[in-house]
Amino acid sequence: MAVAATMVQMKIAILRHSIRGPRGSMMASAGSLGVLLAAGTIYLAFLEGDWLAVALAAWMLGWIVGPIFSGGDETLRPEYFSLLGLGPGRLATGLLAAAFAGLAPVISLLALAALVVAGARDGVVAALVAVPAMVLQVAVFVLLSKVTVAALGIALGSRLGAIGTGVLNGFILALLGQSWVIAVAFGQGGQIPEFVRYLPSGWGLLAVQGDYLALAAMAVLIVLLLAAWAALLTRRAGANRRSARGRRPMRAGTARQAVMAKELRTWTRDLVRNHQITFALAYGVFFAATPLLLGIPAMLPLAGPIFIAMSAAMTANSYGVDGTAHWLTLMTPGASDVRGRQLAWLVAVGPLAVLVTVAFTLAAGGPWPLVLAAMCALLGGGAGMVPLVSVYGLIPGIDPRNRGGNPLRTTEDEGSITGMAYLMLLLVALTAAPAVVAAVLFGWWGVPIGIVTGVLWYWGLGLLAERRLAAQGPELLQLMRTGRPPEGGTSAWKMPKMSKTHEVIVMLCWSFGAIPLIPQGILAAVFVSNGQLRHSWFLATYMPPGLRWPTAILMMLIGLAAMGTGAWLYMRAKQREKEPELPPVYD
Amino acid sequence: MTAALEIRGLAKTFGDNIAVDRVDLTIPQGSFYGLVGQNGAGKTTTLSMAVGLLRPDAGTAQIFGADVWADPAKAKQLVGVLPDGMAMPERLTGREVLTYLGLLRGMSKQVVAERAEELLSVLELDDAEKTLVIEYSTGMRKKIGLATALLHAPRLLVLDEPFEAVDPVSAATIKMILRGFVAGGGSIVLSSHVMALVEQLCDHVGVIDKGRVAAAGPLAEVRGAATLEDRFVELVGAESTTARGLSWL
Repeated sequence: MAVAATMVQMKIAILRHSIRGPRGSMMASAGSLGVLLAAGTIYLAFLEGDWLAVALAAWMLGWIVGPIFSGGDETLRPEYFSLLGLGPGRLATGLLAAAFAGLAPVISLLALAALVVAGARDGVVAALVAVPAMVLQVAVFVLLSKVTVAALGIALGSRLGAIGTGVLNGFILALLGQSWVIAVAFGQGGQIPEFVRYLPSGWGLLAVQGDYLALAAMAVLIVLLLAAWAALLTRRAGANRRSARGRRPMRAGTARQAVMAKELRTWTRDLVRNHQITFALAYGVFFAATPLLLGIPAMLPLAGPIFIAMSAAMTANSYGVDGTAHWLTLMTPGASDVRGRQLAWLVAVGPLAVLVTVAFTLAAGGPWPLVLAAMCALLGGGAGMVPLVSVYGLIPGIDPRNRGGNPLRTTEDEGSITGMAYLMLLLVALTAAPAVVAAVLFGWWGVPIGIVTGVLWYWGLGLLAERRLAAQGPELLQLMRTGRPPEGGTSAWKMPKMSKTHEVIVMLCWSFGAIPLIPQGILAAVFVSNGQLRHSWFLATYMPPGLRWPTAILMMLIGLAAMGTGAWLYMRAKQREKEPELPPVYD
Repeated sequence: MTAALEIRGLAKTFGDNIAVDRVDLTIPQGSFYGLVGQNGAGKTTTLSMAVGLLRPDAGTAQIFGADVWADPAKAKQLVGVLPDGMAMPERLTGREVLTYLGLLRGMSKQVVAERAEELLSVLELDDAEKTLVIEYSTGMRKKIGLATALLHAPRLLVLDEPFEAVDPVSAATIKMILRGFVAGGGSIVLSSHVMALVEQLCDHVGVIDKGRVAAAGPLAEVRGAATLEDRFVELVGAESTTARGLSWL
């Protein structure tokens, strides 16, 4: 137990430091979102039916899938303890105990308080049973997550494994994205399929409902998972691989070709990139193909465009992933690093994108102008946005040789990398907007517009990235070396200095101000004016006639006020930061 | 004669920590200059600023008269750098790294191929033809780093801890190459905290302590009658001179 207690103390110490650091605000907003979700789960416990079982299944899926994007929580790595001579069982138990000390397990435990609520509806005994059930259920969640990460880490040790994992992950996430299809296919609307109750996520609920065997089953599952994890951990600590295959000679003749050759070799040799591209491909294909289950082929043409956007999202931190190798770019000013990377990105993504787009659109029988316009614009947009976002929003990566047992984990800052992926999806989608609008309005005219905008994105965004790289190169290198932006340097994501409370308020205002403003305000007003009443969750549409417009307007005002407050606090802090005039930086 | 490297008033502060406090150093042409100091004294920070890898808060650095920050293209053409602990393009083989960098430097394909061949063979990296840099040992990494620094025939080499974690055989190879470089008219600055090594190789030495230059000049002048190690301990005033045992051993 002493080992476990020490590891918990270490974890708490590290968490304490990171709360004070720049990640504090990120954790605060993630935490508030988590608490909201937990509250929602508890609310479901008051309802009849199996909704709680569905929500718990979603929590379990979150625990399993989350680490695929983030690389998992590796605050304490097994390698740290390899010289202590701990047996695998003790190591795994200790790391498990430490894994419970964190934001996510606490929030999951909070969500599982829903079991107590569900139990209380049946009586005192059920409510009491809910307490051990809660704890066991969290342990199941955490262990499932740990075993997934460990198994992934080992699978990713080989190219085949990396590709296989990419396909599997893409498949799971695409199904999640299309869960309505699954729901309709299984239940034909409204019905929750029976099996959801019997997933491991539902065992706690089964126990509370009187099936005490489920408690024992959870205990057995925990022991099995712990054993599996311990076994996987020993494999990981000993992982060491070497390649000795023949290498194709480099035929590049110019600086730009050299960058391209370097990048393309990294694309084929780095398992992380193998995984990224197969993931994006699998996601696009499965996302577009899932509606076939319902006999809907209309989404098939989306496969190519989704693949392109997802590739951009996965590779958004391309400079960060390379780590401090950036020093070589600094030492060779004038060599066109950005352009070479853009070309390599196009070579890696382009042919596959064209192939998938054409094949899937053929299968669906069109609409050709729309799909081709989007594809051209997205390819240019992706090739432009990747270097731009990567240099403006650089997230310090772990140098490739220090990546450790989990090759998927390319940075310590998993929250930011996930945020960056979402932002990238949005930005790349926007680059296709002009071409898509043109194709919708004018048909085939959309394609030349897609080509022209694609070339413009490629050229213009690449130019911006190149300028930023030239102007801020040393600052980027320092950020990669230290993990902290240099003082006085300008980081695109940097919040001005303000108190923690203000920071949280700003984040909350910005993230939640949009809800009253857009759906509950603007959209609701549209529905009211169209006479679409009792529309899903738009509050104004449920109001008595005299209150509909006032409700929508009030919602808009609340949203504007929240976002305005956030903006005002932000601007004020920015202003204050400028006041003490800094001595001019030598340039 | 223009100095190979002229550092004037370089300063850098990280938060509350003054890492480098107005350092002046002159590295004459043709000299083999050793920069010594304790861990954290500011050697790496100074050298990073001198070659353009870290923006200084104040001060200038000139390589053969070319300002590193005002005229980076010219200055960086004249210098070869081996930083400590930085990544390389990890998924390339040694030969591919050299080809890539030579082309980035604007060298012709032919010249790059010839020099890469020679460097790999002299540094004994040619039997690792199929090995990616990520799989290299620490000593091999230092050697390929040195090869990248030498590839474009610079006139000044700036090497941060080139002998750290290098085995004696590889170290002997590196020493031989460096001595040859100086004999051919090149200039070298290297940082180290191994006094014996600096005494053995260098003709000039600079002592950095707490971000300042404690002493600098020709080796004989700086160390006087004592050994460099004694002189160094005297200069930085380390408490470690009074050896204290560990209570439990």
